[in-house]
Formats: sequence, structure tokens, C-alpha cells
Amino acid sequence: MSAEAVRVAPCQRCDCALEAEDLRCPICGLTAPPPPRAAVERARARVVRCDSCGAAVEYSVEAKAPRCDYCGSVTHVETTADPVEQAQHWLPFTVDTEAARGALMGFLGRGGFFRPSGLAQEASLESLRPVWWPAWMFDAGVDVSWTADSNAGSRRSDWAPHAGRTRFDFQGIPVPASRGLKVKECEALAPHYQRGSGQDTPRGPEGAHIERFEATRSGARRTVLGAVERLARERLQQGVIPGSRFRNVHVAVALSSLRTQRLALPVFVLAYRYRDKPYRVLVHGQDANVVLGEAPISPLRVAAVILAALLVLVGMLYGARVL
Amino acid sequence: MAEQSQQTPSAVAGPLLHLGCQSCGARLVLEPALRTTRCPYCAAPAVVERPPVPGVPEPVFALGFALTHMAAKAQVARWLRSRSRFTRSGIRSAAPGEVRGVYVPAYLYSVLAQARYRASIGENYQETETYTTTENGKTVTRTRTVTRTEWRPLEGELSSYVADVLVTASKGLDNAELEALEPFDLRGLARYTPALISGWLAEEPSLTLAQCEALARKEAVERVSGLLSRFMPGDSHRGLEHESRLDWEALDVCLLPVWVLAVKYAKDAPPLRVLVNGQTGAVHGKAPISPWKVLAAVVALLVVLAVGWLFMGGGR
Repeated sequence: MSAEAVRVAPCQRCDCALEAEDLRCPICGLTAPPPPRAAVERARARVVRCDSCGAAVEYSVEAKAPRCDYCGSVTHVETTADPVEQAQHWLPFTVDTEAARGALMGFLGRGGFFRPSGLAQEASLESLRPVWWPAWMFDAGVDVSWTADSNAGSRRSDWAPHAGRTRFDFQGIPVPASRGLKVKECEALAPHYQRGSGQDTPRGPEGAHIERFEATRSGARRTVLGAVERLARERLQQGVIPGSRFRNVHVAVALSSLRTQRLALPVFVLAYRYRDKPYRVLVHGQDANVVLGEAPISPLRVAAVILAALLVLVGMLYGARVL
Repeated sequence: MAEQSQQTPSAVAGPLLHLGCQSCGARLVLEPALRTTRCPYCAAPAVVERPPVPGVPEPVFALGFALTHMAAKAQVARWLRSRSRFTRSGIRSAAPGEVRGVYVPAYLYSVLAQARYRASIGENYQETETYTTTENGKTVTRTRTVTRTEWRPLEGELSSYVADVLVTASKGLDNAELEALEPFDLRGLARYTPALISGWLAEEPSLTLAQCEALARKEAVERVSGLLSRFMPGDSHRGLEHESRLDWEALDVCLLPVWVLAVKYAKDAPPLRVLVNGQTGAVHGKAPISPWKVLAAVVALLVVLAVGWLFMGGGR
């Protein structure tokens, strides 16, 4: 945790958060202030010495670092670090295993007309795994310049060009980093987490699985920037660009004060089997009312509905002919 | 030796530096344009440190060499073999000569660009038009669908960060040559420390800061215009004009790894200078074209055409 404790001042140009190892701002490219160096008073030819044996050190292409030819030790050089991301905050499970099981039963019982009757009784629970899935959550101010074609103000052509510049403030936007969950599932789960309930350590049921971030820091930044652009494009089409139909929506974003948190979010992954077919259901780890998943459809009932519809149709046609 | 001094122009003003070797105490005499040296007596590599000179910033970043000199030579040999047939004889079979690794100073520039633009945007539409034509000797009227373009004016603003602009700071390597060697992978950027260039040749910036700033601004504005032409809506656009305001400029010296080779291909000709990107292996050089070969090819082509024409004429 000591690495987390090192606070780094944000970028002076765009106010985006920097990591301790960043040499330059990843958003605007401004150089992070270098550590102070001792002033040189008169010119000298300095021989760089090896820390371990004192011999002269030269840069080696093979080692891609300065290396001492005598003892082989490699001098550490400050480079742009690109470590694999680690979660900073774990949101606790507030739904326990029993409640998750109950939520599944409720989900199967609710069913709807097309569910086979007795699904809740016949389905057998195969596994119930508490999982923390990884996600980024960001806040940012975005200066969006945009151009687009829309139907507003069009003359002979269906399209008229428009341009503008606007500012969006994004707050607490989740970006899923999970490979195990589908993007749709992540988007459905994300709004129901209690923000600010993050803790420094994972706390939840025994044996909970922690899904790792598979992206490196630079990959994470690319994903987050992609999400910013996608979101800006969506919001522009909801009232900013005049008109109701759009094409060629181009955006250029200049971000300021980007803050990203790396979160581990709790969810229960349940698998059940019904008539030898497996199905998967997700139960939210902080809100048992949020259940996503697939359930079997009774072919008999579907056939019955189609048959009934056909009968009605035929009846109507017949009736029409008689009249 | 005469060749070498031609290749590295010592354009930096100032007297030669006289420094003591830290290893054996011998006197080292070196040109002020160089940042590194090697003691001729004890072979100890040294990095020159000197008091700050106004207008000549200290390096902030360096990109280390990733390509060994053998790999650089192999790249150049492959490049030479793939030259056009019209290059002067001897080039395609020449062997790359002496290879030197040089850390070339460059400026890494980034800026917030605010552009105002004006353009005509073309929006296509379809129209049916009637036309008359002759079919089987009769004049008939037909209709057809044609695509026309309606031009609409558009004005707007664009604000964007332009980062990672690299411009040369060395008189020895001009900006066009640097552009030919680009891109460098800036993810490999390291904070400058003398150990990174120890044992290698490294130059001091020899162009003035103002010259490099002008180059960098020009490149940033070019990038903005490239960005704008991709940014335009519609089916086509024309008359795109823009003026850019550059705010929050920042530029830092970055040392770039470049392999410099001299290829001797003929006794009477000066050696051909070939540059290799020390990180990616991209090769740049200007292989001279042989005017005789081109002339011979043109003459041969003319002869073939003339023979063909005669043959056709004879056949008629």
C-alpha cells in the first residue's frame, strides 16, 4: 500500500492525474517535472561508474540498458513504466450466498408465461461463485469539438453539415475490464453499485474469486479514452447536434482533470442445469434485486401461443369471407 | 579523417574543450558539439557535464539503442540490394562500411492547438433528369438518376492536444531526414541520465531553440490540418482553411538513437550516407541515380517503339 500513498501532483497543463512513474502526461504529453539535479559549476568529463564494482559503465544494446562489462550489473534507468493494472478499491459484498441463492429462485419463479412450469423446482444449482470483476471508473471534463451531418436545415440533399464545440463533465463513468462478463452484463450491473463504499482490501464470502485486470496501464488508458469518445458521441446525438438523424459524427476531445480509479466489483455467478442444459445467471453483489441471466423457454407453450394466434387469424379470415 | 570531419559538421561556436580524464588524468581535447568522448589513452568512456548555457537546454529524455550494429549493417545491406536498377553501378552490390551509433538531439514538442476553420462541405443528392437520345434512328426521351453535390459553408472550432512532435536540433541531421526515420516508439522513452549515452557518440543541440520552435510549430500546424481534413463531415469538402492558435507549448530535448553508415560504392564518388533508426531499424538514404543508365533505358525504349512503328507501318 505504500506505493499508493505516494501522491503525485496532477499534470500542470491538463490537470489529469499522473502516476508516480509517469515521465510525461499520457493525455497531453507534457513532461512531468523532473527531480532536481545538482547544478554543474565547471565543465568536466565524467566517467559513469558501476555502483557495484566501480568500473566504467557503457550503454549496452543487448541489455537495452547501461551495463558494466566487468561485473555485468545493469544500471536502472527511469523509463515509462507500463505495469499490469491492479485493483485499488474493492467494493464489499453486501448480499450473502444464501440471499444470492434466494434471488436465483425468485428469478426462476418469476419466469413469465413462456417459462416451463416447475422450472424453479426442477432446476438444479450447479455452482455459485462470488467474483470480483475489474472495472475502471473515471471522472473527466471534456472539451468536445464536433462536426456531423444531420437532417436539420437540409435543403436539396437529405443532409446538412453542422459543427460546434461543447463541454461535458463525466462523473463516475464505469468502463468494464472483465473478460468473463459480457459488456452488456457489465453495463447492467454497474449503475447499482454503491459509490464510495470502496475498501482497501477485499471483503466478502470465503473463496471469492478475484478476476485480474489483464490490461497494462497504457492499454487501460486507451480503453478509457475510447470510452470517453464513444460517450461524447452518444451524448452529442441526444440534443446537442440539431436534428433527429445523424451521420459522419466526428469528435475531437481535449480532456482535462481525468481521474481514473481501478475497482473490483462484487457479483455472484451462478450456474444451474435444467433438463441437462446449463444456464448462467448473475446476481448483483450489492443489490439482490438485480438478477441477469438466461432461462429456458418452454417449446410447448411457444407452440401453443403460435397455434392460438394462427387459429384466431384463420377465424378472422373465415369470418371476413362469410360476411 | 577528412571524410569524418565532413560528415559531422562542427557548427557549434566556441573553443575546443580541454578536460581531464577522470580515469588516468590525461588531457582530453574535444569539440564543443559533442557530449561524450573516450580517452585515447585509457579508453575510458566519459560524458561531458558543463554549466548550463542559455538557449541550450539539457537533455530531458533519451531513447536507448535497441538495434545492434550488426543488425543495422544487415538492414542496410538488405536496403542496398533492394534499390532500383537505375542507381549508379556498384550501389546494389556495395558492402556497408563503418557504422557509428550517434545520439542525435531532437526536440519533443507538445501543445494545445485551437483551430478555427472554414470549409465548403459537399452533400450529395440524387436527382432524376430527362434526356433525349437516338435509339434505332428515332429520338426518344428517357430518364436517369444522377448524383449532384450541394455545397454548404461550414465554420467551426477544434481544440486538441498535439503531442509527440519530434523535430531535429542537430545541424548534422536535417528535419526531412529525421522524418524519414520516424516513427520512434516513444513508449521506450527514458529519463536522460549520463549512463544512457556513456560509451556512445552524443551531440549537443546545434540548432538554436528559436529555429527548432519554428520547425515544431510548423509540424504541429500540419498535424492539425491533417486532423481537420479527416474531421470534415459530408461526402466531400473543399476550400478548407484554418488558422491555429498554439497554447501551452512545451518542448524538451530528447536524444534519439541513429546508426550512421558510409557506403563506399565507387572509387571516384563520395561515400553514400545511410541512416538507420536505432530503435526500429528503418533505413533512409538517397541512392544516386545514374544518368547514363536512365539515358540508355530511354534510348532502348525509343528504339523498341521505332521498330514497332516501322513494323506496323510496313504491315499497312
